[in-house]
Amino acid sequence: MLMSGGIDSPVALHYLLRQGHEMTCVHMDNRPFTDDSPLAKVVDHLEVLRARYGQKIPMYLLPHGPTQVQLMRETDRHVGCVLCRRFMWRSAERVAVREGATFLATGESLGQVASQTLSNMRTATASVALPIVRPLIGFDKHEIESVAKAIGTYEISTRPGLCCQAVPSKPATRSNLVQILQEEQRIDVDQMLDDVLKHATVL
Amino acid sequence: MAVTYYTLALCTSKGGFEAIPRPKLALNLAEARDRLRAAGIDVTDARVMLIAAMEREVTLSRDGRVLIKSRDAEEANRVFAELRRVVGLPDTPDAASASG
Repeated sequence: MLMSGGIDSPVALHYLLRQGHEMTCVHMDNRPFTDDSPLAKVVDHLEVLRARYGQKIPMYLLPHGPTQVQLMRETDRHVGCVLCRRFMWRSAERVAVREGATFLATGESLGQVASQTLSNMRTATASVALPIVRPLIGFDKHEIESVAKAIGTYEISTRPGLCCQAVPSKPATRSNLVQILQEEQRIDVDQMLDDVLKHATVL
Repeated sequence: MAVTYYTLALCTSKGGFEAIPRPKLALNLAEARDRLRAAGIDVTDARVMLIAAMEREVTLSRDGRVLIKSRDAEEANRVFAELRRVVGLPDTPDAASASG
């Protein structure tokens, strides 16, 4: 389960835990393109949900800042969010393989931000083979917020924090897999992923 | 046209202070990076932006936008003044007042 520190991911995790799934979480540490707040929020979200469901819920903390620097230096900024997302998925899949997990999950719902158009979701997730579960896909923001308040994660999510500074001023909302693959030829994807996993911390 | 950095205010997510030049600039970030490093400041160069480890971490974008990772207005003003001095950003003595 990819955890961002936002409102959606703990709600999605809540539904999966409620169904009885044994979950492992991944947080992509986006510093220095953000501050410490997303990590602090994820830690607090997990504390709330661990207490609620009595599950250990290990969390992998993976460094994402160096990946962002490389993407910004070597690839087209316009598709930066999709490329970033593909790295998140790939990183999560590597963790899933290590943990023996059978699916990936996120708190995505359609159309909330640039990375969540159907076109960008398809392009981003073409980078992984495991099935992806999106418990909130058809929820609107109000519904998600209501559940977040009910389970006690909303106040944590809405604490002050920095938005991702790596988001381009005009992110692509429609992406083309051929173009994305061309962009990825400018970088060594496998080496970058190896580096990410090498520096993983489990909390 | 004179450039003014008239906003040093909390960003929308309230996580830090930002300053936005009007009109936008087209900074030479390589030069800015070199100036910062010459001043002994550690800099991450992401080509389209720099992240400088000053008293608090600062992001400087090519268009001149500055984001200071502090929620303290006084501290943000101090860091902003230092950044402008080191990098040589356009001087606006009456403009950079932080407000929370």
